[in-house]
Amino acid sequence: MSRRFTALVVVAVLLAAPLLLGNAFLQRVAALVMLAAISASAWNLIGGYAGQVSIGHAVFFGAGAYSALLVYKLTDWPPIAGAPVGVAVSLLLACVIGLPTFRLRGHYFSMATIAVAELIRIVVSNWQFVGAAVGLMGPAVPRSLADLSFLSPLPYFYLFAAVLAVLLFLTWQMQRSRMGFYLGAIRAGERAALSLGVPVLRYKLLALLLSAGFTALAGSLYAVMVGFVDAESALGILISVQMVIIAALGGAGTLFGPLLGAAILIPLQETTNALFGGGGTGLTYIVYGAIILLIARFRPGGLLELLHWRRRRVA
Amino acid sequence: MPNVRRRLLLLAGLLAAPSLPVIAPPAAAEDTVKIGVIEPLSGGAASAGQAIKAALELGTEIVNTPYPDMQGLPLAAGTGFPGLGGRKLELDYADNQGSPAVGQNQALRLITQDHVVALFGAYQSGITLTTSAVAERYGIPFLAPESVATNLTERGFKWFFRTTPIGPDIARAYIGFVLDQRKQGRKIDSVAIVNDTTEYGTSIAEVIKKQADAEGVKVTQNVTYNVNATDVSSQVLQLKQASPDLVIFISYTSDAILYARTMKNLDYRPPIVIGDDSGFSDPSFIESVGDLVQGAINRSAFAPGRPGTLSYKMNALYHQRFGRDLDETSARSLQGFFVLVDAINRAGSTDPGKIQAALRATDMKPAQLFTGYNGVKFDDKGQNTESAMLLTQLQGKDYVAVWPQAEATGSLQLPYAGWK
Repeated sequence: MSRRFTALVVVAVLLAAPLLLGNAFLQRVAALVMLAAISASAWNLIGGYAGQVSIGHAVFFGAGAYSALLVYKLTDWPPIAGAPVGVAVSLLLACVIGLPTFRLRGHYFSMATIAVAELIRIVVSNWQFVGAAVGLMGPAVPRSLADLSFLSPLPYFYLFAAVLAVLLFLTWQMQRSRMGFYLGAIRAGERAALSLGVPVLRYKLLALLLSAGFTALAGSLYAVMVGFVDAESALGILISVQMVIIAALGGAGTLFGPLLGAAILIPLQETTNALFGGGGTGLTYIVYGAIILLIARFRPGGLLELLHWRRRRVA
Repeated sequence: MPNVRRRLLLLAGLLAAPSLPVIAPPAAAEDTVKIGVIEPLSGGAASAGQAIKAALELGTEIVNTPYPDMQGLPLAAGTGFPGLGGRKLELDYADNQGSPAVGQNQALRLITQDHVVALFGAYQSGITLTTSAVAERYGIPFLAPESVATNLTERGFKWFFRTTPIGPDIARAYIGFVLDQRKQGRKIDSVAIVNDTTEYGTSIAEVIKKQADAEGVKVTQNVTYNVNATDVSSQVLQLKQASPDLVIFISYTSDAILYARTMKNLDYRPPIVIGDDSGFSDPSFIESVGDLVQGAINRSAFAPGRPGTLSYKMNALYHQRFGRDLDETSARSLQGFFVLVDAINRAGSTDPGKIQAALRATDMKPAQLFTGYNGVKFDDKGQNTESAMLLTQLQGKDYVAVWPQAEATGSLQLPYAGWK
């Protein structure tokens, strides 16, 4: 009861927050928090719940982002029309990447995902059809409402929040279903899970497919908002790493962990820039590094764990 | 439920903490004119961004304090903007971190929060694309002094202005030089282009081929390779076999160095070598293989020139302050900066619409410029139609301006010497 109440209040506060900010820049930061929360929550399905730490999710993000602008370039349709294409492509990619790499465990799996992502980044940056090194651009000026190109960041915020809500609802359902328990078992020990009759490969693949689909959707939404994509900004390793850091900061394998992580990291990234613009360059990365160190040393379970631990003690 | 409240408080604190500093914007002097500058101050292109920032700091000082020595340069003589009652200039820097999304965000911040009157930047073409789209929608003038991607001025934007020469200008300079040499009786019947397969390599090669075709110069060979190559002997052997009259290299630093070494090892000396900007301009290239590529011809929008000229004085000021010569990219940046402040001054207002109108009416003459442009004048797309470049030649440890004749500070030495 109290838990559901907390969740409700948090959601209400989050939804109202950008209205109170009344400043386009801060509203946009809020929209970016939602966007980052979508991709980190999507990563969380395979990386958190199933414990398969992929550092190559930029592949799916890139598939979504590129599909949106490629569909626009080829057909002149609004970029968002490319979102289903991006999801389809990334599901296909998930199968192609997942089946062989799932045979690897732990660090070897992570390294394999990095390798695949880098490979695809290099191929894309040399492939004329998708703009090679120049990248692809969206409509320079919005032609209709369907282009989803708004001056105010608020429509983006609510669009992203809605997608996030769907994703979190699905995750919540999954968490309580058989699949949630299977993934927990896989995370705790693949061999043990297998010996107990858990169809490990099938469920890992299922989690990856769900994860890839939503990551691609995040990529499409990104492309729609930013209106430009190139290999570095959509397929770069930093995209993958950011999903991992955000989820780990808030709490990997928890429902609201990625959202919390995004709400802390994204504003941090933007405000260090605002504060130190000319002077403290690179400070963002120093802060990133410090956060990773602190989490790894003191709170491997993420910040949400801190809250749960407090509750347990009070109870 | 005290535990719930505590948890909520904690959560709220965590959510609010990072955004606190921005809610209270730093107090700024009321009467300055603010221009937003978005450059790569961290990330892969940070060294270029920092050099640009240094040049712009010098530029701000020239605007804000009297520099009577810099005759012709707009706003140098007095303090601040005379057109705005002597108000001073303030540059508001933002780091684009090499990301189109971050750049876009910073553009929004500079416009809506810091209320800058114009935006300036953003080095990487992709980031210039996204940041200028924000400026366009808010109706704020955007001046791009460095980015060369052709599509930037093909978007039909009304608030976008670009001072730098772009691909076609580069091609015009090279082919113009070839035609000039032919006129003087030098035989240039076959041209080879060597380029990597990056955006830079392919696009520059493309425009040169196009221009050559139009002017009746035959490109007989196009050798391509992958960037950061480990071996280029087969490419050099291909060239040696065909022995063209002119070879144009479009390469980044490490590849340019590799070509210089390989050509020495295989004893190949084409009659004329052009090395397009990037790799051949890098100080580390000249440091490591300068002795092997004597007489290589390069392009530049800036050369310090003869004593007494504006470019010479600007370079001297920069050198005195930072202990190194003004590099080509920073020079283009600084030139764009002076075009923008001149327009703001002529507008006599900080109203974006008036600044836009003043930019449109820009007509600067070579005497007001320190780069090799023939002037600054914008077409309907916002591209500077008078931008041009000069050709330089590596003689010893320095590039010396050799073409066109009017701006030459040294004499052209052909054929290509390579190593002694």
